[in-house]
Amino acid sequence: MRIVIAEDLLLLRDGLIRILTDTGHEVLAAVDNGPDLERAVAEHRPDLSIVDVRLPPGFRDEGLRAALAIRAEHPGAAVLILSQYVERSYAVDLLADGDGAVGYLLKDRVTSLDDFLDAIDRVAAGGTAMDPEVVRQLFARNTRDRGVAALTVREREVLALVAEGLSNSAISAALSLAAVSVEKHITNILAKLDLPPDADSHRRVRAVLAYLNR
Amino acid sequence: MIGRAGRALGYLALGAPAAIVALAWTLVSSILLLLLAPTQLAPRALLGATAVSRALARFERWRLGWYSRRPVPVPYQPTAAGPVRVRAAAVFRDPATRRDAGWLAALFPLALPSMLLAVVPTALAAGLTTAPAWLWAVPNPNAPELVAPIVGTWPGRAAAAVLGLALAPLAARWVLTLARGQAGLARLLLRPDDRQQLTALAERLATTRARVVDAQAAELRRIERDLHDGAQARIVAAGMTLALADRKLRGRPDDPVRADVELARRQLDGALAELRHLVRGVHPPILTDRGLAAALGALIADSPLPVDLRVPDDTSVPPAVEAAAYFVVSEALTNAAKHAGAQRCEVTLAGTADGGLTVRVRDDGQGGADPDGAGLDGLRRRVEALDGILSVQSPAGGPTVLSAEFPCAS
Repeated sequence: MRIVIAEDLLLLRDGLIRILTDTGHEVLAAVDNGPDLERAVAEHRPDLSIVDVRLPPGFRDEGLRAALAIRAEHPGAAVLILSQYVERSYAVDLLADGDGAVGYLLKDRVTSLDDFLDAIDRVAAGGTAMDPEVVRQLFARNTRDRGVAALTVREREVLALVAEGLSNSAISAALSLAAVSVEKHITNILAKLDLPPDADSHRRVRAVLAYLNR
Repeated sequence: MIGRAGRALGYLALGAPAAIVALAWTLVSSILLLLLAPTQLAPRALLGATAVSRALARFERWRLGWYSRRPVPVPYQPTAAGPVRVRAAAVFRDPATRRDAGWLAALFPLALPSMLLAVVPTALAAGLTTAPAWLWAVPNPNAPELVAPIVGTWPGRAAAAVLGLALAPLAARWVLTLARGQAGLARLLLRPDDRQQLTALAERLATTRARVVDAQAAELRRIERDLHDGAQARIVAAGMTLALADRKLRGRPDDPVRADVELARRQLDGALAELRHLVRGVHPPILTDRGLAAALGALIADSPLPVDLRVPDDTSVPPAVEAAAYFVVSEALTNAAKHAGAQRCEVTLAGTADGGLTVRVRDDGQGGADPDGAGLDGLRRRVEALDGILSVQSPAGGPTVLSAEFPCAS
């Protein structure tokens, strides 16, 4: 996969480059600020951009804004945001255009290499990768929601993984469930949340996240 | 001694012309103001007269400062803006205006006699001391019989000089005493009164404290950034390296090194979690980056209790207040979940009419929180450093209400 990185801390930039090249990816450019990122993306047209939220000069959300600018310029350009902490509004901003191919992970996840590489693949393929912590916080907002309250424990587990952006087969692997029972769970969940049944998993993820984030 | 006495003499001597001007001005201005008082010109006349009085008082302050080598602080309240009537009223209310007038009125009866009382003995001592010189230069053959031996003979002239020299220190001491008396009275009336001085002191203390609080807040943010860019980044980088090593070992499931790598990864994860916790206690990064509402949102998402959060859209308060409000909520939620056995919480933030902020956290737990416990006490200090008030109501049986009130941005 051809990847562009924006990360201002040299240590982490080098670490990311090493991880990605070691696992067979190609890092086309590694920059440390938003404008350079936009230029690099325009020049290389990468399969994926991995962007730190907090970039100079303000160290607030310059990375996110650069990512949104890129997606406005190149609709559907795959972007994975790395953040030091969970901020729901980042996820909301990213999901806003509905084009998919977005991810939002905590920086620490990078050290869980398999999950990280899996998230990269998912985002580059047009899917979604939400950090489990983001999903947990979204659930916490909905403790009194009638639809969520009606879910069984198992259904909640499945819903969390759906919200993270996992495919049916990945969910069945993660929970050691048969593929058919995963599908059954999902059908039940969508019914209880009053969401339209949708075979397309990307659209399904967005619908679920939109529901949790109301 | 000679220098001080000289300055004292100068001070008293300068007092005489000042006294005459002051008397004249006191009379003229009193008559003028009395005559104009019933007319529409009264405010203007008061402002004009006060300007002249203040110029005279300024000279008096300078005279006093020069003598005592200690500048006299100016006591006037800052000039009010607005129409003449408002400004005149402000000037009239300023206690310094009346004190100035008092000093100018007292100057003539006080300073003129002082000057005479100082100059006569000084002149006498000086005259006697220098008697041999001028009696020799301007002989007086017609001197009365009584003083002729003193005036006409050298031993007599020498005796006069000795007498003058003996008188000089006495005269100097007398002059110093007179000057000290006048200066003491002058300082009493010309400097700001005690209340003004205390007010000024309080303002100065408030300013310096605000500066300390701001500096501390900035320092905490700097520490947070340093930890983020330094230690935290290093640990994550080391974690990446270990993750790669772990991946490379995957092909060799029996290699005992795998267990070590796995352990090292867990240890690093622990270090990172601890560091993250520390950073949040210092200054939560989300507060710097996204503001109070977002930081509180993350806080309640982390709370095991369902929390009802009400935050106004716009909480434009200084960073130090934001941080204090954040930690009030954080501590209250922790207590509610850990100690009070609460089922739910309400967090309400509201702006006050004068631009301040109130924070209120209510839980439905069993109450009985100790307001002087370590956590709440630390919180109280934090709030009070910003001129805020922290109150804890936690009767046995609950509910517990923790509220903090911050005044407008200082």
